[in-house]
Amino acid sequence: MNKNAQPKPYINPYLGGVLLGLLLLATFYVTGRGLGASGAIKSSVAATMAEIAPETAREAPYIGQFIPEDKKESPLNTWLVFQVLGVILGAFLSGSLANRITLKVEHSPKITSRTRIIAALAGGFLFGVGSQLARGCTSGAALSGSAALATSGFITMLCIFGSAYMVAWFFRKLWI
Amino acid sequence: MNEELFISGRDIPHIDPNLEIWHWPIALYLFLGGLAAGILFFAALYTIRGQEKELPTAVKWATFIVPFALIIGLIALIIDLKHPLYAWQLYMTIRIESPMSWGAWTLLAVTPLSMIWAASYIRELWPKFDWRFEILRKFEAWVQKNRLPLAWIMIVLAVILGIYTGILLSAFNARPLWNTSILGPLFLVSGLSTGAATIMWMSKNEQEQALFRRIDLLLIVIELFFIIHLFMGFLAGSQVKIEAAKLFLGGEFTAPFWIFVVIIGLVFPAILEILEMRGRKIPVSIPAICILIGGLIFRIIMVEAGQITRFLY
Repeated sequence: MNKNAQPKPYINPYLGGVLLGLLLLATFYVTGRGLGASGAIKSSVAATMAEIAPETAREAPYIGQFIPEDKKESPLNTWLVFQVLGVILGAFLSGSLANRITLKVEHSPKITSRTRIIAALAGGFLFGVGSQLARGCTSGAALSGSAALATSGFITMLCIFGSAYMVAWFFRKLWI
Repeated sequence: MNEELFISGRDIPHIDPNLEIWHWPIALYLFLGGLAAGILFFAALYTIRGQEKELPTAVKWATFIVPFALIIGLIALIIDLKHPLYAWQLYMTIRIESPMSWGAWTLLAVTPLSMIWAASYIRELWPKFDWRFEILRKFEAWVQKNRLPLAWIMIVLAVILGIYTGILLSAFNARPLWNTSILGPLFLVSGLSTGAATIMWMSKNEQEQALFRRIDLLLIVIELFFIIHLFMGFLAGSQVKIEAAKLFLGGEFTAPFWIFVVIIGLVFPAILEILEMRGRKIPVSIPAICILIGGLIFRIIMVEAGQITRFLY
């Protein structure tokens, strides 16, 4: 077996955190705005709604904001969508460089993949709702917001990690 | 009857100022035609070189896709026609100066040939399969005996099919983006690249995968060269050509073209293939899917953008 084909260990999490901060700084410098992840999902929802029920989608007070007036223009034509595409490509590249690309479900040995997927879907659903109430997710509101010294950013950050800390004990069996 | 009378040559619905007659079926057909041409080219090439045993996917198994690709592509073409029932009229004439005539006749020859080619390998895939009729068995034996001459015919037809998918557009002399002779070779190389990606994806043989990875990488480099050449040609051309190029260099097709076609469809799979050649383990499906998606989006964009470009102001 080629020596290059062994999976490489993960990067030190503290170093990873610093690199993420520097990435955010670079993003502000290059694009003039922060990072975001949930925005791309929201644009996908807006685009799907605009395709299936154009009138309802346009009149909806919240999702309607994200559908361009010009009917020829797609709600997907925003920088966030392209950023998330870049994240997917970058992740594949990083995974290939570290020989870590396989199809698998990571979970605690005590639960099945099925439980893990159901729990992930339920958590993702709640996070989607929460990120829209907070006008952004961990990257868009908490990280980019607090980097710009926005009060809402700090509150979001405290609430996301604080509530995770509070409920972690109840869901520990999903992980350990 | 619903006839319309135009008293001036300008402002004609669906034709001027912008052509609005070709949509996704054309792009899908051009993609599937190029893919079919690519697979048939490699099947014929390696039959001629006598490498059926070393490269079974290229010569045998990948060709099973071709009849389906061509039939779906032809259905897309029929869907696009205003009067589908008149399609037979293409076969009432041979016009040497018309790419559409070349394409129609090439398809008439290459579609049955691809079916015969794939069918002659069915019994190798399913040994229990029986042709039931003596005449079919005899025909199969005849095809198996005459593979080499058939491969020569197929390789010529595959190249014509691959180039024709580009020439079909470049023959439109009123659309500056299409009216460039590099479109034929560019579409041929792109078609060969999607074909090679499909073979690489289907192959279970490591040597075969490695060969097609190298072929694919080479084709990607050639394709990038042609794309650069395409824009250099436009920018050195007349004002209408410069404006056609500007659609991709700051205009409305900039993001989709450079992101989906160049980065996701060419550069990214090329990087993954180089990594794989250097010993990293990368699922073969990822570069293959990227190349196929890039090839399809390339044709959608070329068909859409070409109709916007024009000579008259």
